[in-house]
Order: sequence, then structure tokens, then C-alpha cells
Amino acid sequence: MPDLNGGSPKGVLRPGWSAEVGDYAIAGGWTPRGEALVVGDAAGGVYAFDGKSGATIWAQREAHEGGVLALAMQPNRAAFATAGQDGRVLVWSAADGRVDHAIDVGSGWVENLAWSPDGQRLAASCSREVHAYGADGTEVRRFDTHPSTVSAVAWSSAEELATACYGRVTFFNASTGTVRQRLEWKGSLVSMVLSPDGDIVACGSQDNSVHFWRRSTEQDSMMSGYPGKPSALAFDDTGTLLATGGGEAVTVWSFQGKGPEGTRPGVLELHFGAVTTLAFARGGRRLASGARDGAVVVWSLGRNGQGDPVGIAPVADVVGAVYWRPDGRALAALDAQGGATTWRVG
Amino acid sequence: MNATRKIPVTILTGFLGSGKTTLLNRILREEHGKRIAVIENEFGEVGIDQALVINADEEIFEMSNGCICCTVRGDLIRVLGNLMKRRDKFDYVLVETTGLADPGPVAQTFFMDDEIRAEFELDGIVTLVDAAHIEQQLGRSDESTEQVAFADVLVLNKTDLVDDDALDKIEVRLRDMNRMARVIRSQMADVSVETVLNLAAFDLDQALERRPTFLEPEYPFEWTGVYSLDTGRYELSLAEGPDPAMSLVIVPDQGTDDSALREGAEWCVRRYAEPADDIRPGDEIPVGKHLNLLLDSPGRKSFFLEVDTQASVGLYAQHTAEEFDLQLTNGAPHVNGAVPAEVERTWVAQHEHDDEVGSIAIEAEGDVDPGRLNAWLGELLRERGVDIFRMKGFISLADEARRFVFQGVHMLFDGQPDRPWGDTPRRNQLIFIGRNLDERSIRLGFEACLI
Repeated sequence: MPDLNGGSPKGVLRPGWSAEVGDYAIAGGWTPRGEALVVGDAAGGVYAFDGKSGATIWAQREAHEGGVLALAMQPNRAAFATAGQDGRVLVWSAADGRVDHAIDVGSGWVENLAWSPDGQRLAASCSREVHAYGADGTEVRRFDTHPSTVSAVAWSSAEELATACYGRVTFFNASTGTVRQRLEWKGSLVSMVLSPDGDIVACGSQDNSVHFWRRSTEQDSMMSGYPGKPSALAFDDTGTLLATGGGEAVTVWSFQGKGPEGTRPGVLELHFGAVTTLAFARGGRRLASGARDGAVVVWSLGRNGQGDPVGIAPVADVVGAVYWRPDGRALAALDAQGGATTWRVG
Repeated sequence: MNATRKIPVTILTGFLGSGKTTLLNRILREEHGKRIAVIENEFGEVGIDQALVINADEEIFEMSNGCICCTVRGDLIRVLGNLMKRRDKFDYVLVETTGLADPGPVAQTFFMDDEIRAEFELDGIVTLVDAAHIEQQLGRSDESTEQVAFADVLVLNKTDLVDDDALDKIEVRLRDMNRMARVIRSQMADVSVETVLNLAAFDLDQALERRPTFLEPEYPFEWTGVYSLDTGRYELSLAEGPDPAMSLVIVPDQGTDDSALREGAEWCVRRYAEPADDIRPGDEIPVGKHLNLLLDSPGRKSFFLEVDTQASVGLYAQHTAEEFDLQLTNGAPHVNGAVPAEVERTWVAQHEHDDEVGSIAIEAEGDVDPGRLNAWLGELLRERGVDIFRMKGFISLADEARRFVFQGVHMLFDGQPDRPWGDTPRRNQLIFIGRNLDERSIRLGFEACLI
């Protein structure tokens, strides 16, 4: 059981800086070279902190009326997008807080954002519609054939966009808007992650299971037995390991060999609150997890998905998200009290 | 961490035109010191500055197993999931459903989703009923029936459009379907906020104290006549009727308006629960006692009532005055025959409507074996969960110092111990509301769990 009262990070986690935003820290991210950590909060504020010192570089306290719902880092440069309850998407320059593009998406909440891997397109979902915007902020394509509210968006390549909603995952040609593949399953899909090669798509489902498909064969499988709904999912760089939340344990499925069908997953137990967020460090099998217990844990995993904790640290409240600095040498956690806490990772 | 109180949620249902929006606006305008977040499914009618109003498209999600009980409102999960991140901004949630909504998925959302269940609790379901149209609606639509069946509070609205007799009939029918709900009559949805919000305060115990008929399927009397009597001796006479005997209670100082009649009725229910005194023709009739008038002799029978001071008395009789040609006459020579009743009222139209939906209330003393209860309830919910809309109650578990309280929606069940029994007598009380429930087998099933 994590010693939260001890208050100091242990193992590979060494104290870094911490900062605060105005409300529940909803989402954030590091710029590609780690110069800044940006954070959006539930009051609609957007903040940028210096990656080394944690000093506030700039802050916009009322960027999204009603609150920020999503934030996505541009993969190639120090820019990012935020979306909120105000139905808008803002594209920011991380260095100075300049809004390069302000996009009115619709009258509903804009709940999901994703940049294409080349950074040329930005997808945003609002209710049942997904919009793709070009680098200049103009809409290049609209995908409006979803039968229910879109719960997740992801790019499988610079040209292909995946969306999840109740009952299906759809792959669209992002340029033409045509449907390339539709994977159906009767259940409410609450989260989605794609393997780096784009072949495997995994979704957490409202009925406490993880469903995944191999696109090349359309073969699908369901992993059930979770005590809660798996809203946190993460693939490692190689597409071998799929880490899933859905309870107090982190369950890691290994796709090596013929797995994960017929294999036992790694079950990582240390949290005593439901796991809310998972992130693999680039170029390795280090996994960070955050949970409702207010703890952040770093795990070192084997190719079979088994693993051990190598670092643990407490934060002030429920952990909402964890983000590895792209070089893997630092980790940031956002919490429900608006804290942004960072650690150096040894 | 985060061990703060759960945020109470009220679900507001009712057919189009029943007055939901009027009630909602009333709740939002009233100074009650609560910060309410409203989740609406119908656009554009609420626009109150201080309230957080969120529109959500009703999205009903079924699970892969195809079970009706695993149907939830996906939009609510999303909206509430976001609201819980701003819980310092409000302290109450009100969910307004569309007129045609089945309340099941809405209610189930608060049981099915673990995150929602951790942060919110279903405080109550309030259903508005349009008094002028509910009879037709119940006949035509399952949704309307289910909205009535799911309710903790039924607001019988637009009572100004319907006469009292019809209202009484509607109320009896509604109570027959849902014995758990409190029925409130209103015009223009004019009910106080306390009667529809924070119903957790309204537990079964209090309901029983306030309204002893809560568990009664119907009143044990059919008819009331209120008579204004001067001092003197009166003769109550009855012709031959359908039964050889009839129960009667005479209430002193009976008012004539509806609430006074109800109060009298509640008081009489308690008298009716006491053993009756046999009264023979020619006997004096005591006031305020449960009487059994013996009527097996042929011809018209007379009983006598002595009035010391001028009074208004209520006769609560097992049968209607018509059935026995009941008459009250002044024993002194009289000119115009019987004393007319100031007010007459009939109480029960017993099973006039054969609604498939009904309630079963079980009350029993003694302790329950937890293992047997678990097995019985598990099987009942597995087999009949689809037809059981709601259940609620408290149980006296053996070797448990506290009451075990529970509620459920279809197959979903949530229960925990609450306050200690202390000096209060240990007992069990369960209510099931559902479609075509087999009262006898449910009763026997529960009784078998008693130690």
C-alpha cells in the first residue's frame, strides 16, 4: 500500500517542480522538446509552465467558458489545441500563449481532440460529429454519420481517422471522408487506443470490459472481468503491451506470440483507488499510472506484461492524468485540486 | 481521499404537458439556497441565470448481453462525469427527462456506472401527472405507466381541470400502482421545493409515521358522511343490505374540506386497526370507536347517537350509505325526514382498473437470515428483475446492530447498513413495484428468510 502520508516520492521518482491552475486540472501535455508543460482546467483556464523551473510562462484564465474538456499537443512543434464546453477549439502557441486559430465547432461540448501524426490535421468531436481541420484552422472534412455521441478519436496514420461511439469503431479516409472499415460491437465504447502500427484497436466498454480488434483479420476479442469500466488505456511503442485500467489494478495484456488470447495478463497491484490514467514512456517498457487514491506509480514491465513498481509519489488529490516528458526523463501528473506536479525520473 | 458527501440527484419525469417545465422553473426561481445543475433533454425552455443548465441528447445504451437492466443513459454518464470535476460549483443535480422517457435507464445509470455511483446518489424520482389526461395516457402508453411506477413522489397536477371525485379516483389508481410514492396535488405545478428535492430525508419510517395508510392497499371504509348536528338524540337507521354486519367509526369534530376528510380518514385507519365492539340494534353508538353494527335481523334497524353539544361529526362506514339506505334522523318528531349530510365522499373504487402494474408491501417483525435473504433476492431479481421496476426498504439482519437499507432498479441492487436500531423495535419493511408481480410467492419467499 502506498505510503501517502510519508509525502515524499520514492524509487525512480525524484522531486521536481509543482504548480497550480485555477480548478480541476483536466488535461495537459509537454511540448516536443520539453520546454513547457501546458494545462487546461475545469474553469476554462489554459496555463503554460516552464518545463525546467515550473514558473508560469503565461496564463489565460477564461479561455473556454464552462471549462476545458480536451487538450492535444501538436506532435512536431510547441503548439497545442484545447477544446471546451463553449463549443470551440483554440490552437495555441505554447511559447507565448497566442491563439493562432479559434474555431467554432458547434453548439455542444467539444469533448475529444487528436492531431494527425504529421501535425497537419486536427480532429475534434462535438456530439455526433467529427470535424477535421487543416493547419490553417479551416475545416477540411466533416464526418457526421455517427449514430451517437463520439466518445474517442484517434489517427491511425496521417491519412486515416478512427472514431468510437456506441456500438462501433469507424475508420475514415480523412481526405475523402469515405469509410474504410467499420468494426461493430453492441456496447458503449468509452475509450479507444490504437497500436502504433495501427493494426490493433482497443476500446474500453461501459460494461467493464475491453474489446479489441485486429484490423488486418477483423478478428476480435473481449477481455472481461474488470471491476470497473476501463477508461484508461495505453499501448507501448512497440505495440506489444496494452495497459488497461478498470479497477484498482493495472492489467497489462501482452500481444507477443499468439497473445493475448489464452494468456494471463500482468496484474499490477499497488493502487487502492480506481486507476484513472496510464502512459508508457517512449522507447521502453516503463509505464506510469495515476489513480483516485492520489498516487502516481511507475512500473517496469517485461514483454509478458508482468512487472514491478519502481517509483511511487503522492499528489494532493485524485490523479486526472499523467504525461511523460518526450525524453522520458520527467513525468507530470495533474490532479483534481488543480495541482501540476512533476518529477525527474532516474 | 475525496470522502465528501455524494451529490443528490432528482429525476423529473412526466408526459408532455404535465407541467415539468413549470415545476423546474419554480424550483430554480425559489430561494432555497441550493446551487442546482440542471440536465435537460428538451431544448430551450429553461433560462435561469444562476443555474447551470446543460443540454444532453438522450442516448440510451444497451450492453452486449442484451439485458434490459443494463440499459443506461450514455449522455448522462458523460455529462455527470464532467460535472463531478466541478462539484464545488453546485450541490444538487436535477435531471429532466423527455416526456416519453422510460425512467429505467436514467435510474439505472446511478447504479450501473461505478464512477457515477461513487459521486452521485439517486435522491428521488418525481413524476408529474396531468390530472386531466393521465387516465388516457395510462391506457395507451407503457412509458406513462412506468413513469408512475418508478416515482418516489407523484405530483398530481392541474387539479383545477378535474372535479374532486375524478381526482379521488385517479389518486386511488395511482396509489394502487405505486404504493411507495407520496401523492401531492397541485395546480400550475405549485408545490414547495422541499416536497420534491432532498427526498432522502423522506424515508419509509417517516412516511409511516405521517401516513399510517402508507402500506394500506386502500382505506378499510368506502364512504364518509359529515353531518352538522345540534344537541339532541339522533337515530341512525339502516335497511337490509349486502352484509350481515358493517364496520363504522364516528369521528368527532369532522371538518368538511378535503384535507380535513383525509385527516379524519388517517385517524380512522388507526381506529379500524383496533378490535371492533359489537353493537346491536337499539344500542347507543359511542363516538370515536371501531364498531361492528350487527345487521342480521330482518327489516330496518336503528341505533342511537347522543349529541351533547352542537358538533360536526363524520361517519366513516365500511359500505356506502346507499347500500344500506343509511339515514340519520333526529329522534325527536321531525318533519322533513333525514338530516342531510353536509358532505359525502367515497374512498375506494376497489380494483376498478386492472392495471398490470402494482405494488407489494411487506412488513414483518423479526430478524432475517442474511444468507437466505441473499439467495432469495438473488433468484427473484434474476428471474423477475425485468418486471420489478423498483424496490426499497429496510431489513433487520440477524447479528447486525444497524438497519440494513436498500433500494433497487430492475436487477440492480444497492444496500448498506445505516443507523443503529437502538431502542426501536427491529422489523422489516419492503416494497416492490412492478408488472404482474406474484404477491403470494414474494411474501412467502421473504417469510422463509425470517429466522
